[in-house]
Amino acid sequence: MKPITRRSFLEKSGTGIAVAGTIPALSIPVPQRGSSPDASAPTSQIQLKVNGQAHRIEVEDRWTLTEVLRDHLGLTGTRLGCDRGECGACTVLLEGKNVYSCSYLAVWADGKDITTVEGLARGDELDPLQQAFITHDGPQCGFCTSGQLMSARALLNDNPHPTEKEARQAMAGNVCRCSNYNRYLEAVLAAAEEDTSRG
Amino acid sequence: MKSFTHVNPKSLQETVSLLKESRQGGETTAVVGGGSDLLGMIKEERVAPDVVVNLKTVEGLQGIDSGSDGVRIGGLVTVDELSAHSLIRSQYTVLAEAAQSVATPQIRNVGTVAGNVCQRPWCWYYREGFPCFKNGGERCFSIIGENQFNAIFGGGPSFIVHPSDTAPALMALGASFRIVGPDQERWVPASEFFILPRENVSRENVLAEDEVLAEIRLPKVEAGERSHYVKVMDRETWTHAVVSVAISLQVEGGICRKARVVLGGVAPIPWHLPEVERMLEGKRMTPEVAGQAGMLAVSGAQGLSKNAYKIPLTEALVRRTLISMTA
Amino acid sequence: MVEKLKTVGTATPRVDGLERVTGRATYSADIRLPNMLYARVLRSPHPHARVLRVDPSRALAVSGVKAVLTHENCDIVWSSGDRANPRRLFNNTVRLVGDPVAAVAATDRHLAEEALKLIDVQYEPLDFVLDAEEALEPGAVEIYPGGNLSPVFSFTNPGPGKREPSIYVRGDVEKGFADSDKVFEGHYLSKHINNAQLEPRVAVARWEGDKLTVWTPTQGISSCHRDISTSLKIPPEKVRVICQYMGGGFGNKNQCQDSDLIAAELAQAAGQPVKLELTRKEDFIAVHGRWPTSQYYKIGVKTDGTLQAIELLGYSGMGPYKKSSGDIAGIDFYGCPSIKKEIYTVFTNTAVGANFRGPPYPQGVFGLGSMMDEIAHDLKIDPVEFHLKNFTRQYRDETPYTSSGLAECIRQGAELFEWSRRWSPAGSGTEPIKKGIGMAIGGFGSNLGRSSAVLRLDSEGTLWVHVGITDIGTGAKTTMALIAAEAVGVALEKVQVISGDTDRCPYSVGESGSRTTSHTGGAIVEAAKDLKAQWAANGLPEGDEELIAEASPAPRLQGVARVAFAAHFVEVEVDTELGSVRPLKYVAMHDSGRIINPLTAASQVKGGVIQGIGMALHEQLIYDENTGIPVNPGYYGARVMTHLDAPEVEVHFIETEDAYGPFGAKAVGEPPIVPVVGAMANAVFNAIGKRITELPMTRDKIIGASS
Repeated sequence: MKPITRRSFLEKSGTGIAVAGTIPALSIPVPQRGSSPDASAPTSQIQLKVNGQAHRIEVEDRWTLTEVLRDHLGLTGTRLGCDRGECGACTVLLEGKNVYSCSYLAVWADGKDITTVEGLARGDELDPLQQAFITHDGPQCGFCTSGQLMSARALLNDNPHPTEKEARQAMAGNVCRCSNYNRYLEAVLAAAEEDTSRG
Repeated sequence: MKSFTHVNPKSLQETVSLLKESRQGGETTAVVGGGSDLLGMIKEERVAPDVVVNLKTVEGLQGIDSGSDGVRIGGLVTVDELSAHSLIRSQYTVLAEAAQSVATPQIRNVGTVAGNVCQRPWCWYYREGFPCFKNGGERCFSIIGENQFNAIFGGGPSFIVHPSDTAPALMALGASFRIVGPDQERWVPASEFFILPRENVSRENVLAEDEVLAEIRLPKVEAGERSHYVKVMDRETWTHAVVSVAISLQVEGGICRKARVVLGGVAPIPWHLPEVERMLEGKRMTPEVAGQAGMLAVSGAQGLSKNAYKIPLTEALVRRTLISMTA
Repeated sequence: MVEKLKTVGTATPRVDGLERVTGRATYSADIRLPNMLYARVLRSPHPHARVLRVDPSRALAVSGVKAVLTHENCDIVWSSGDRANPRRLFNNTVRLVGDPVAAVAATDRHLAEEALKLIDVQYEPLDFVLDAEEALEPGAVEIYPGGNLSPVFSFTNPGPGKREPSIYVRGDVEKGFADSDKVFEGHYLSKHINNAQLEPRVAVARWEGDKLTVWTPTQGISSCHRDISTSLKIPPEKVRVICQYMGGGFGNKNQCQDSDLIAAELAQAAGQPVKLELTRKEDFIAVHGRWPTSQYYKIGVKTDGTLQAIELLGYSGMGPYKKSSGDIAGIDFYGCPSIKKEIYTVFTNTAVGANFRGPPYPQGVFGLGSMMDEIAHDLKIDPVEFHLKNFTRQYRDETPYTSSGLAECIRQGAELFEWSRRWSPAGSGTEPIKKGIGMAIGGFGSNLGRSSAVLRLDSEGTLWVHVGITDIGTGAKTTMALIAAEAVGVALEKVQVISGDTDRCPYSVGESGSRTTSHTGGAIVEAAKDLKAQWAANGLPEGDEELIAEASPAPRLQGVARVAFAAHFVEVEVDTELGSVRPLKYVAMHDSGRIINPLTAASQVKGGVIQGIGMALHEQLIYDENTGIPVNPGYYGARVMTHLDAPEVEVHFIETEDAYGPFGAKAVGEPPIVPVVGAMANAVFNAIGKRITELPMTRDKIIGASS
């Protein structure tokens, strides 16, 4: 069922990599894609533990973790900003480490422990980071905030007393286009202080 | 995003057999380590694999182990593990620093050393899907286009630069790579792993389609050997090197006994500078010698219409890095 | 200085902070409706082409594909897409890479994406032009019949204007130059940069009978509502626009966007709700960004530095559709007897040039601020002294300001920055790593105008504030609550703000041009007068009674001008060998009248400054000249500022007393980005002794200037 054009293209380029569909056309003919989209995209059964809760779910192999969290588990606090691992709005904790969920397939998270922004507070008790983000005016538009929180949480789990430089480095993968970086940094350092004073 | 079948092989042998079989069956394949970059490339339709073969579940690709003859690094070791590893930091500093300079914490947490070494180019024309050599086309758009980040060494017919940070560091450390294929496995020195476009314009290294970069070995560090990686970026994070330099020096009593100097971001492969090394070896390390090394480093460089600034930049970077290492 | 008030003026965390930090804030992308379809847009890969054939039949044959729109079955004119020339949702001719050619709605987003590839399109590529000045040269391809000079744009008269440059004249520049001791000339270039707000565009459209509801990220539910009603020719009462939380816009989400209309039309065609999600790349190339400019200055001065005449000939590249003025502004921050400004706004085959924070100013202040710095340098006058001599005393040298703290911004800023201590002559450093300082001034209009508010006081003492605002990150909800609490005399905790829904809120001006606080805040103050009178007359309501007051004031300034001012000071470190520029210290002085909420106001200034530094140093949407295709759309390509790039920004407000606006509040959100690029450029000059005349000030330019 493989389209001949693609195969012949492959033979020509001699690689396992096909250059597909929407290349800016210029004067070079664009290789045609298959005759119909795959109505039955391959799927896999996976198990996820999200914010302490176990889920068994059938996912398409191509679904990202962001897609599964937002569209299939209803956890829309994880935002999709660029879908290319360039902005950080989709950051979640995977086994305690901050990762871009937009650039991570759901099938790779099989059997893994995930924390999203919805899992930060314990009931009504906010994570000290969340409280500090409110007090120090971290979120402007708020769209990057969940991701900033998750990177900050990963940092404090690993290093409860970060220096300013360490905090900046740990948060470097989270863009804030409102550019409220001063406030976010202030908030993270204040929350670390708060953690300390709690002993 | 195009659909694909995702498979989780358990062993290397199973992996390479799967790759071979899939390809024999006319299917396109992609091998995935961390996956951040591959996934972006699938979304952008630079690649369209029918089968994605996941290395994360393969045994034996993890871990950093040191032995009497050096250090073994599993191909699936993450860039973050590498940058945080105490032995790597203390003895193979250039590698830890290179790893630390890669992209962002989120990417370092999933990105693997093998994936970083085998990363496809980040030339705008390639990434944006222009029908360039790297996309299977028949020209390099950068030559008469936006080439501010393209090659000043080794270009032609394609003028991409190799994007990896760890690759120049591994070359400076004299690393070798274990490559596993369906029918054989082989060891290739890092210095012979990368290939210029004039040898094969569609690839950046010697890996065949059904081969996997499984493991990296670093030779034992010699007494007085120290190393350093400096990367010039157009913002402080998440860009590839405009120019970077990986240097390993063995200095005794102020005299350079052995030098390895490799540039990143300037050529289609990590750019080794043997003439500079020969010039340094046996010399007392002074700012003047560092200056000569900088000049010599760029003696063969050739600028395109918009990237000639990289020549004085490279010169200064080599000079200043040498000075900072021997001050 | 302003008198202290009870609630207004207190640093107050956002009233919706909890929603923002818990992930509960609902953005348009979070809306999920039963039966909802997903939509994707097929866009032109050519900068300029005729669509010879567009055939969706293979796509429509796929099970799950519910509707396809092309120019053949949809000829809707997008009313806010171009005020002068009709812009259709699907244009034939396509005029930029990214112009919509077709849209698909399908049961799954991946299916919709795949279906795009089954739409067969045949293009006839046409010649294209990317640069504004080139587009005016004889022989350039005509993007519209009659040439590429775009009609003069007017907010008050949005109809087709004359094709002529926009000209402003006062005094006599020729006489001014003749009277000058010295005349300076310079040419400055700024580039197209994208707003790059974190939230991409998503529109969810649902029809219930003949009533359309659209959830969309917009900087103005009222204007979005009006535009949808006009474009789709449906009565206003049959349209509802909802935007509860919005992930930033900086001008990119003004009015309605074609994605809103496409979603509505697809939903209509499919008979099911539709969610249209734009990718980040689509946002970069197919919405809009800051227009690029080419600025030719000629400025005459006396040897004591007094300005005699300023002439500006400017060109702005608007892309092929005109959404904004295309002005190049900044001259108004200086007093000068003779001015001639001639701006050509030009059609090009690039992304649309339109509003991005402080729209015409940052690029204008880059050029003009650099010129002023050059003059001060040449005449050996300290830039601070030069600005104290020449800053604007009256708007356009004729109209008094309602208030002005500009002199204080300059004076106090220089002190707080320790300007004199840090100062050394340009290019005097001998090491390869040099330090330099620079300053620039700026501001933004703080007009008054029509808006509305409805206040309800219930028997629990809760004050319900219905305002048609959307909090796009400025803290507007909190600002409105503070103004209402102060004006009515209740505790802030008793205020509930109802916003972001045209079925539940009255008209509001929209979150652009720093207008919400002055306009809608002003309406709250007016309504509060009525409510307090009712309260005084009748006492608190009981049971299910409520006191209700509304106001729709439309105040106009007469014989006065109202402007928020700023002066910025920055120290940079320039590594002349590596070509890097790093801001070390930044002081931002702002006169925004009374500050309603010092916490969020300072955040906005800090953010605006850091955005401006990105514009100064990194950002540019680059087009390949040979193909007309943008090569670096996205955050990676734009190299937007990150945690590691952002300096600490020190913010000080000079709270002038202003008799207009709610409690004397002036603009906050737009001004902070205005002086940044100019100040940065001047600091780089002071460091290396060479002037960078083209943005962004990238490594190649620094190394080139230093060698």
